[in-house]
Amino acid sequence: MERRNFLKTALLGGIAGVVQLKSNVLSASESISVKKENDIVAVMGGEPEVMYAKAIKAMGGISAFVKKGQKVVVKPNIGWDKKPEMAANTNPKLVAAIVKDCLAAGASEVVVFDHTCDEWQSCYKNSGIEEAAKAEGAKMAFAHDEKYYRDVQITKGLRLKNAKIHESILDCDVWINVPVLKNHGGAKMSIAMKNFMGIVWDRRFWHANDLQQCIADCTTIAKMPVLNIVDAYRVMTQNGPKGKSAEDVQMGKALFMSSDIVAVDTAAVRFFNQFREMKLEDVGHIGQADKLKVGTSDIDKLTIERIKI
Amino acid sequence: MYKFLKRTRVALSLLFLVLITLSFLFFSNRETQFFSFFLKLQFVPSVLGAITGSVIFLVILLLLTLLFGRVYCSTLCPMGTLQDFVTWSAKYVKTKKNNRFKYDKPYNWLRYSVLALVGLPFIFGITLPLAYLDPYSNYGRISNEILSRTEQFIHNGFSQIFPDTVFFRSYSVFVAGSFAFALIYLLMVLIFSALKGRLYCNTLCPVGSILGLISRFSIFKPTINENCNHCMACVQKCKSQCIDIKNKSVDETRCVACLDCMQICKRGAISYKFSWGKTKKSTIEVDSAKPDMIESKDRRRAIIALGLVGTALAARAANFGPVLTSKPKITGIAPPGSQSIEHLKKNCTACHACIAACPNGIIKPATGEYGLDGILLPVLNFKDHFCGYECNICTQVCPNGALQPMTVEDKQLCQIGKAHFSLKSCIVFTDRTDCGACDEHCPTKAITMVPYRDFGLFIPKLNKDICIGCGGCEYICPAVPVKAMIVHGNEIHSLAQKPTRDEQKKVKVDEFGF
Repeated sequence: MERRNFLKTALLGGIAGVVQLKSNVLSASESISVKKENDIVAVMGGEPEVMYAKAIKAMGGISAFVKKGQKVVVKPNIGWDKKPEMAANTNPKLVAAIVKDCLAAGASEVVVFDHTCDEWQSCYKNSGIEEAAKAEGAKMAFAHDEKYYRDVQITKGLRLKNAKIHESILDCDVWINVPVLKNHGGAKMSIAMKNFMGIVWDRRFWHANDLQQCIADCTTIAKMPVLNIVDAYRVMTQNGPKGKSAEDVQMGKALFMSSDIVAVDTAAVRFFNQFREMKLEDVGHIGQADKLKVGTSDIDKLTIERIKI
Repeated sequence: MYKFLKRTRVALSLLFLVLITLSFLFFSNRETQFFSFFLKLQFVPSVLGAITGSVIFLVILLLLTLLFGRVYCSTLCPMGTLQDFVTWSAKYVKTKKNNRFKYDKPYNWLRYSVLALVGLPFIFGITLPLAYLDPYSNYGRISNEILSRTEQFIHNGFSQIFPDTVFFRSYSVFVAGSFAFALIYLLMVLIFSALKGRLYCNTLCPVGSILGLISRFSIFKPTINENCNHCMACVQKCKSQCIDIKNKSVDETRCVACLDCMQICKRGAISYKFSWGKTKKSTIEVDSAKPDMIESKDRRRAIIALGLVGTALAARAANFGPVLTSKPKITGIAPPGSQSIEHLKKNCTACHACIAACPNGIIKPATGEYGLDGILLPVLNFKDHFCGYECNICTQVCPNGALQPMTVEDKQLCQIGKAHFSLKSCIVFTDRTDCGACDEHCPTKAITMVPYRDFGLFIPKLNKDICIGCGGCEYICPAVPVKAMIVHGNEIHSLAQKPTRDEQKKVKVDEFGF
């Protein structure tokens, strides 16, 4: 790399870092006193792309998160070889809407990927996400081999001290986390924090070393998503995360959005609790991430905009 | 006319070689099983297919042989085409003198001994000796172990150059023994064919021997007529070394119907003649039998050969297998569609079409998993992945019917093995932390998480009746050194119970809940 380019990149990176840090501080401390921006936006009653449009508007528009020329990653859950109706993966319409919006905001490229559990090509295809994302101009990144991951130190992690993270996440300017709301046999719930398991290579280590703590630990990495958008259009309320049949799915027709990953997971659990009892304290990783100061689970103190369509 | 026929033969043989090779390569068989169809037209698969599936392909091949002799060997057999290619290439290296073939005596004793060694066990349901010598199955192994790996290296080379558009193909389990077998066989045949044309086909190849016997009964046979002036052009061209110009006879048991002699002869002295009920003098008969005996003897042999094929089929159908096979300890998990390890052993010739087709790369050649009489047969391995719940590709590509075709729905209930849970190895038991990796991967929910003591933890509970043995749990289980979930293969595949429906009341939610 040329010296000039290196300096330019370093400078831009530095500025980006400062800006991001500032917005985090703002949202954590001043949200109550200054009625400025929403901490959480919750939308209910529409189609995925309609709910997204309402939510992002209430959040100040995509340009508050994605700047012109930036490389963006949109990270949905594409873990399983299942059709969209099974709600095992993020809704492809939502992914498409986000991709479209990012490109409209001037993103230089939008990359979509997930480290799948089932065979990756079937997952990309049958989830409908590959087709939908590509149609809007996104690029699907490969994530099925260790060679696409690079080792990263996680200094604040209690059990997870380092992890191999996907190169797209490490190389992008900003990334948007787009999980689907699901019941989960091991982690109790699979939402935004749990979706980080799809950016790392070795998931077995997490399962073997206190799954809940590892999920929390991974959210202390420096490169956090600028936005978490929880798809609760269809909600898998039992037999998660893979699901057996359409019987496992309930219609939620909701969407939650926040920059605070702990807050958005808390909100989603409380929404889920209406379908099936789920206590916040049972979802260990949320409390543990709160302790690590990743965000707050005390969402009653936050500014929440609720939109019903 | 023979020029045209010969060119057609060469074109067809190359076409079949390409089609068969494509059915083993990733880029051509990932999205379609189209090419696998052509595997059914191979001789050994057609014989086995006659028992396990449709008899039509065997009928086609036998009719071809009864019409024109060993057309299979010159046109359809990929190993044959490969050898011809080597013979053809070798002429640019060899001296002019070495390049000419001479007539050679048949090695009948060797041929028929090998045929018996392979054929008799086959009749009694032991297919393995045939599997090791069958040219198609060997070509399959060569394709899978050598060509497909080469393709993978090239593919991954491209993935370095174009990282955004060409994905990296992860390397799957490498079985050195299987690779070595394919390589040694390939080298042997390459050397044979470079030096002596179709020597393999006329000594060791059991398919060549049986088709040779049937060819004695062919309606059209290559015949030398009175126009012959002993110019030797045909003899020098004959890669089967079966034209005896002194006696003006062609040994039709060794002739592979390549048409080279008929194309080269300027005088039209050698050509296909209607020979129904007639016979020519081949050297053995001239030496050994009285002239008037020849005809009946010839026909008798052909009938015997046909009878052998028929008896083989009947005997196998009658199932002598269990009487003769020993029962060593079996730990292998046979692929879906194989019905039982016994069925697999009887019908699989280890061509590795299923191994090449598996998108998850979990089928590998067996080493000791099925015992000694199962070496190189396909066996499942859950080290790097597990059997896809929505996938039935291996059952679709098998030309032998060793893996019977299954719909995805049938396969989803086919229990190839059962998971076994060992509490003492489970993370929830040893570490007192949440895990649930097995439950997460279980497609039928044979594994569910149930409350564990009073720790607020959940531990897997296994219902073996609905487990299908896909290996998802075994693959992902993080316990070391021994996994807590291990699939034990079913020697006889059975029908799993349908997954429960788990109906739940649909809840109408109108509030956010926060």
